[in-house]
Amino acid sequence: MTTERHEAASPTRPESTVLGEVTGMLQEVLGEYGFTDAEITMGTRFHDDLELESIDLVTLSTALREHYGDAVNLAAFIADRGLEEIIALTVGDLVHHVVASLSAEPAAEAV
Amino acid sequence: MAKIRVGELDVHVQRMAAAGPPASDPPPLVVLVHGLLIDSLASYYFSLGPFFAERGMDVLMYDLRGHGRTGRPAAGYRLEDFVSDLDGLLDALEEDRPAHVVGNSFGGAIAYGLAASRPDRVRSVIAIESEPPVKSWAEKMAEGLTGEEGGLVVREVRAWLAEDPERNARPFQLAGRLLDGTTLGQDIPRSRVLGDTLADIRCPVFALYGADSKLSGQAGHLSATLPHCRTVILPDQGHSVLVERTKETADLILDWLQDDIHTPVKAG
Repeated sequence: MTTERHEAASPTRPESTVLGEVTGMLQEVLGEYGFTDAEITMGTRFHDDLELESIDLVTLSTALREHYGDAVNLAAFIADRGLEEIIALTVGDLVHHVVASLSAEPAAEAV
Repeated sequence: MAKIRVGELDVHVQRMAAAGPPASDPPPLVVLVHGLLIDSLASYYFSLGPFFAERGMDVLMYDLRGHGRTGRPAAGYRLEDFVSDLDGLLDALEEDRPAHVVGNSFGGAIAYGLAASRPDRVRSVIAIESEPPVKSWAEKMAEGLTGEEGGLVVREVRAWLAEDPERNARPFQLAGRLLDGTTLGQDIPRSRVLGDTLADIRCPVFALYGADSKLSGQAGHLSATLPHCRTVILPDQGHSVLVERTKETADLILDWLQDDIHTPVKAG
């Protein structure tokens, strides 16, 4: 990565970029079910719209870590909200979590 | 996604390393074993897993044979097969720390089974809504899996789905494939069982129940039978303790683990 990180105002990855990246990961997970042309937007619900079950979110979590590093921790994000909240989770919730985690990272390292 | 070869089986494993200061040196090893049919390691990955890792413990989660992303062989589903998978997995990972083995429902039977067959491997058993695999357990499993209309478990899952048609049917479909496509239903009731005196369970046991579940009545007998046993019964709670009372479950197990960490290891 060539971008220089600034402590006071770290460069924020745009939501649209993260949505594109997350969409790619989701399509890979969905591909296992032969379900490849699903339209994915910020409002898409993992459970109701994509019929993902919790083990699919484990796969997604692994993909997120491989792509973004340890700063993005979906396990802890969901654990803080409670297991039953998985049902209401949207792609937008995840995108916001990724953006927030990545922009918080340099500050956390500075502590 | 990490797959570890154990015998003929590719086992899906997720580990969470102790974050922050370790709870002991080396950090305690906590193994989380999920339940039967509509369950996978995901039940822990988004609940107890990160909770214990953040508190300085090494967490190991895996999908049981036939479940989640682990392989689904056509046969070989007696309890001893599940126990030997866990034993073999710890071998494959070259893990020599005795583990605190947490089991939910059927996962607890696996934890007890490992404690009996490999006492050197198990530091303590934490059994959430589960019972030791004795003869009466096998009889109940037979009723649950192979009784009329596919058994009690299947009827309960159907009723659960019928309550809310919007519920995601995919986990149930997987459970159906496991029951229809493998010998699991016939194998589990034929498992090798422990003697009723539980003489083979010598490690400390923490058993957690929901008061409204059918299992909570066993708490008194269990603590009278085992040499070192703590039981807790959560009021106004049925079988789904882990899902519906996640925070209390995590805190209660943490208390148990911390008491163990601060108790000097007794010789012999």
